[in-house]
Amino acid sequence: MSETETKELKVEDIKADVEASFKCPVRKSLNYISGFLSGPMCGKCFPCSMGTYEARVRLQRLVDGNGSEADLATLKRIASEMLEASMCKKGKDTAKFILDWMGTDVFMEHINGRCPEAECPVFMLYDIIPGKCTMCDLCREACKHNAILGEKRKPYQSNYQPFEIRQKRCDKCGECIRRARLSEYSFFILMNFN
Amino acid sequence: MATMINLTIDGKRVKAPEGMNLVDAAELNGLHIPNLCYLKGTRGIGACRLCLVDIKGMKAPMLGCTTKVKEDMEVDTKSEKVVEIRKFVIDLILSMHPLDCMTCTKAGICSLQQYAYDLGLKESSFTRKKFGFAIDEANPFIKRDPDYCVLCGRCVRVCKNQGTNVLEFMGRGVGSKVVTADDKPLQESGCTFCGSCVDVCPVNALLEADRWRKGREWEYDRVGSVCTLCGNACDIVVSSMDGQLTKIDSGAEEGSVERYTCAYGRFGFDCVGADNRVTSPMKRVGNELKETSWQDALSIVAAELKKAGKDAGFITTAGILNEDALTLKKFASEIVKTKNLDSTASLYGDAATLISGGVDIGPADLIILVDLAPSQWKRVLPAIDAVIRRKVNSGAKLITVNSSETEISSVAAVNLGGNEADALKVLAKAIINKGITGNKKLEAAVADVAVSEEAEKAAAFVAEAKEVVILTSPAMYNASANLSLLKGTAVSVPLESNAKGVILMGVTTSGKTYREMVSEGMGLLYAIGEVPVKQRPKTGFLVVQNSHMTELAKQADLVLPSAAIHESEGTVLDYLGRMKCACMAIEPAGEAVSHRDIFSHIAEAMGVKMKEVKDSEVSKLAKAGVKVVFNPFVRKEGLDVNAGELIEQMNTSVINGSRLLWLKEACVKTV
Repeated sequence: MSETETKELKVEDIKADVEASFKCPVRKSLNYISGFLSGPMCGKCFPCSMGTYEARVRLQRLVDGNGSEADLATLKRIASEMLEASMCKKGKDTAKFILDWMGTDVFMEHINGRCPEAECPVFMLYDIIPGKCTMCDLCREACKHNAILGEKRKPYQSNYQPFEIRQKRCDKCGECIRRARLSEYSFFILMNFN
Repeated sequence: MATMINLTIDGKRVKAPEGMNLVDAAELNGLHIPNLCYLKGTRGIGACRLCLVDIKGMKAPMLGCTTKVKEDMEVDTKSEKVVEIRKFVIDLILSMHPLDCMTCTKAGICSLQQYAYDLGLKESSFTRKKFGFAIDEANPFIKRDPDYCVLCGRCVRVCKNQGTNVLEFMGRGVGSKVVTADDKPLQESGCTFCGSCVDVCPVNALLEADRWRKGREWEYDRVGSVCTLCGNACDIVVSSMDGQLTKIDSGAEEGSVERYTCAYGRFGFDCVGADNRVTSPMKRVGNELKETSWQDALSIVAAELKKAGKDAGFITTAGILNEDALTLKKFASEIVKTKNLDSTASLYGDAATLISGGVDIGPADLIILVDLAPSQWKRVLPAIDAVIRRKVNSGAKLITVNSSETEISSVAAVNLGGNEADALKVLAKAIINKGITGNKKLEAAVADVAVSEEAEKAAAFVAEAKEVVILTSPAMYNASANLSLLKGTAVSVPLESNAKGVILMGVTTSGKTYREMVSEGMGLLYAIGEVPVKQRPKTGFLVVQNSHMTELAKQADLVLPSAAIHESEGTVLDYLGRMKCACMAIEPAGEAVSHRDIFSHIAEAMGVKMKEVKDSEVSKLAKAGVKVVFNPFVRKEGLDVNAGELIEQMNTSVINGSRLLWLKEACVKTV
């Protein structure tokens, strides 16, 4: 089989994929639904095609930190109606997965402004702890958004600018941490503020 | 008759024929199961999930559009669970549907509006979605506004099913759209503008283009009628408001294969108000036609008719109503006392070839099409084309017998080419070889005919079929009817709506024929309707009685204004031998009156009082006992016309007087 030939994704595959990539069930749900909509969703029956579209809107809101209890209730309604009224197994399975993921308190936590798994960027703040910073400059090089300010430490020099993150520019991509981890130093913290 | 099944729907004991689905069964018994995507007459697809119902003994709700009735089934269409699902679906649809019922033209017959009302949904609880799709309103017939679309797919399926195949979905789910190939405007996509899609659209996504702020459904007066523009005589429903025609829908029963009206029938009604409409009598003064009073016109025509007597000739189209035809017959033979009375039906048929048995095409599972080339694209008997394609799509077979390639032959199971008469002979022999016999003379006539492979195949279909309908051109009727001696019913298809009726009412000549009157000329020629004559024939005096100022009328000595389509009442005998009623939807324009009233007024002016024809008289004459006997396999000579040209000629004022002209002017290619 040639590489260009892509097999149609199954709902289970998408689920396994998001389970492997994320710990946060809200992120899992959102990525699953996005994958479902761009892949196996056939659009033949209304509850599934329109329901998942709406679910994605609501999940996006939760992930963006704009969620409310109404969104939660709507998601529950969509999933339970889809379970009842979808035409095929794909839709019903999707509903089951969402209901499964919604079984925890994590969704509520998102409404309250926390992502317990620290995976939803909007609930995170990237910052540098000055005492731990070794001024290796790797993070600044890695930042695509030019959000990190600072000067590499050179021996026997003083008056260099300390490293800090300009929060307005930071889009929480996490590239800096990944680079920092590569260079065996660990000098960042990320936190769930609130 | 199908076996009746007893079941309970919402606590009501009802009966429904075996094999019927629950949505239809409920409808039959005056109950309604909500649905958006179900298209009556086709298999349910279960997309909208609105028709989900609870059935006792079933764990999950079942689809009303695909579940068949069963003995003692207990159906609950309003259980809490299914109502909840319906609310959910309607709620979702409302989130992407413009909520402008206050100005929406479809308000009143919109299914979405009705269901939202029934479920008490004021607005959507979901996020509002707006797509801002472009509106296709580049043609004067159909406006497509995808923003209103609920993606039920009825239009796509109705278009596919009748073989026009213009519409298709682009994308899937929310944000998908019904498009033509390459998303081109309709006129560039091979659309025939039949408007079948408009008929089935449950919302405002597909609409007649001219209806913005021209009244809504509840303001309309609706009457069932029949279209008289071509030989199909389709059932229609005419809506009018304040004495103006507003729209025309297909009128055949919902779900029937005959629920079709072509662009002529649906959009040609504009012609009643065309510029060249004749609204008062006109007489020739010098070189000009001048308006005059009825009294004056009647006295002139009465005097001229008296003077001409036997030398007067009447020619009429075969699109006039039975009552008009019968009055004309009486008027011509009893009052004017002339034998020269003929209709345009004589151009393509006569009493022996046009009058055939009656048949219902609905249950047919094999159609044999002899020497006919119906085409929706060329607008030659378009309804037959649509009916056949629908039948073929639901499993029926088609055999064509035609010496030339036709459009419809692409869906045929077998095409028998070559000389039609010979092909029929071979087919008859092949059928007899299958053991189907019935007529000694026929058997003798084809005894030494060699059977071809194709005919063998066709005969196998005939042997298998339960209901065979043979549709044939009048010229080939006698030859084709031989097949009906073996199996099925043969029906001769005329080119004009009431050709059969006109002939049965006695409008056939015993003097000069139509062709002779036109070419040889008469002392007085009286033309009724839009006869396909452009040049004034050699005649002493020419009277034209028509609703529009035709080429011929311009050269006439006297023009009498008659009622146009939808302006008079009467009956029509269609090609399948059914009596259909044409209804008066609006009053005739100006001083125009119906054909029959003009005749009786003239009679009065000539000093004779004519009695109004009675319905019983018409229906007695219309019942033609047809006994099929063996006839030699030959084509009847002298009946060959170009069907497309003739139909167009006889509808010239309808086409030129309405938005149909746009099709011609914009050079819309439908083929």
